[in-house]
Amino acid sequence: MRLLLVEDNVPLADELTASLQRQGYAVDWLADGRDAVYQGQSEPYDLIILDLGLPGLPGLEVLAQWRASGLLAPVLILTARGSWAERIEGLKAGADDYLSKPFHPEELQLRIQALVRRARGLANQPRLEAAGLHLDEARQCVTRDGLDVQLTAAEFRLLRYFMLHPQQILSKGHLAEHLYDGETERDSNVLEVHVNHLRRKLGRSVIETHRGQGYRYAGYGG
Amino acid sequence: MKSIQGRLSLGLVAVLVVVGLGFAQLGLWLFEVGLQRYLESGLRKESENLLVALVRGPNGPQLDERRVSAAYQRPLSGYYFRIDFEHGSWRSRSLWDLEMPKPSRPGLESGHQLAPEGQQLLVLRADYRRLGQDISISVAQDYSPVRDGFRRLEQIGLGLGLVALLLILVLQRVTVTRSLRPLERARRQIAQLQQGRRSQLDEQVPSELEPLVAQINHLLAHTEDSLRRSRNALGNLGHALKTPLAVLLSLASSERLKDQPEVRAQLQAQLEQIQQRLARELNRARLAGDALPGAQFDCDAELPGLLATLGMIHGEGLALRSEVPPGLLLPWDREDLLELLGNLLDNACKWADSEVRLAIAQTAEGYRVWVDDDGPGIPEGARQSVLERGSRLDEQVDGHGLGLGIVRDIVEAWGGQLTLQESPQGGLRVDVHLPRR
Repeated sequence: MRLLLVEDNVPLADELTASLQRQGYAVDWLADGRDAVYQGQSEPYDLIILDLGLPGLPGLEVLAQWRASGLLAPVLILTARGSWAERIEGLKAGADDYLSKPFHPEELQLRIQALVRRARGLANQPRLEAAGLHLDEARQCVTRDGLDVQLTAAEFRLLRYFMLHPQQILSKGHLAEHLYDGETERDSNVLEVHVNHLRRKLGRSVIETHRGQGYRYAGYGG
Repeated sequence: MKSIQGRLSLGLVAVLVVVGLGFAQLGLWLFEVGLQRYLESGLRKESENLLVALVRGPNGPQLDERRVSAAYQRPLSGYYFRIDFEHGSWRSRSLWDLEMPKPSRPGLESGHQLAPEGQQLLVLRADYRRLGQDISISVAQDYSPVRDGFRRLEQIGLGLGLVALLLILVLQRVTVTRSLRPLERARRQIAQLQQGRRSQLDEQVPSELEPLVAQINHLLAHTEDSLRRSRNALGNLGHALKTPLAVLLSLASSERLKDQPEVRAQLQAQLEQIQQRLARELNRARLAGDALPGAQFDCDAELPGLLATLGMIHGEGLALRSEVPPGLLLPWDREDLLELLGNLLDNACKWADSEVRLAIAQTAEGYRVWVDDDGPGIPEGARQSVLERGSRLDEQVDGHGLGLGIVRDIVEAWGGQLTLQESPQGGLRVDVHLPRR
């Protein structure tokens, strides 16, 4: 999952980036509204966290421009102005959720999970479930036949993305774009290694290889 | 304070009555004096005729009957004379057996009453010297027909005067009403202002009202402006405090404090308190309350956005229904009402299983807003403590707590009442009564 965080307060952005990365998200951080308009449209983000009080261009304006250009990624607004009148304005401009500062990090985490699943058309459930496997995002482990299987951070990220896009063929390039932030060196060999690790832990049939096209999550027993 | 209309009418009536009566009296008096002068010349001619008719007879002076008018012969004809000599006097035959006193001075005299006929006499006494002796001739004429005529004239005049007075009053009322119309319009506009149906007074007023209207408009603009500025300042203050608070909250739950669970718990508890207090106080401070007379909330325009927002936050599984009469306008500030309804509905959505219902109705005393959910509800015994929990700022509150606290602040600022009841749908009903403004 690749997120864009647009927040002008550096300490908060640092904190959020660190905590989001711990939860297995690839995070790009921007502080200026004008940069955000451009980058939001040019990179394939799975979710955008947008502060409203931005230098350069107000957050609502940024959001309006994104939506006008057809950006579909879910947008979570983060703002200190938490009145209902402002909330309504934000959602009218095209936001998908609204979190007012200050907030608990867990609250943000839950909202992000819910938004990502909603955007994928999945029901609002505490654990991600797809084709026989249950993924516990809080503990970063997967349940198979009632047995917990521990995952490394990289495996968790990869499996979560697969489970959010079941039965879809995902190319290595697509996976790399959505799993790593803009600054990470994208090496497709690393992806292959992680896919092999997942197959070793969950069984070979979990992820199918489509030669020349990419991988497909087939699930367990499915 | 009496109305301007009443005062003007009273003043006008007083002036008109005093001046009118004065003029009428003066006119009648002048007319009567003029008439008496005219009658006096006739009487003087009569007395001169009588003087000419006075001839020397064998036994002293005697009256030449042929030269005396026949009216003096007919009894009580209305024309009388008496001639006084040094020794004795003659009276006209028309006096019959009645006595006509001799006026004390030469000249015109009125007011003698001739009993029992009740004729009012106008008497002219003229003194001459003829045939070697002093002769005083008093000629009288019955004045009552003239006097009666005058009385009638007076009554007619009075009647006409009254009619004219009424006419003037009506016209004055029309004129005053017409010229006070801008004042009445301004009054109506102020009432509309109070009901929230307008935000400024019309500037197109007569020059006398202009300063007043301009001043009111200025005050309104000033109030609105200072409210907006203070809201802005509060927003900025909130922003300035909330972002660092978010950093601290995030820090407090970060991995770095894993080894010091007590510090972490303490830090989190304190930050939580600051956050609650900040949210509540900022919300309380930014309430417009009654400060803005021009405020109004258009239910048709605002509710769909609010319900869509709530639907988006709480997911598709929740049915949000509203029963609001079409075209309903509530006379309160838009942001305040959104805050009230948003918090009420948000609370209900958090607890509801599948359905939340909002209803707003106009009642005899004002407006009634109620929100139902089909959640677990609150047992009757615990409702009071939930309300109180919301009103205590220094307690940790969540769910039905903080949101209700803000709602309570708003309802109190508007002089309304908030009660918790059992909803017909099984959950909680929050019932808010708001008095008309």
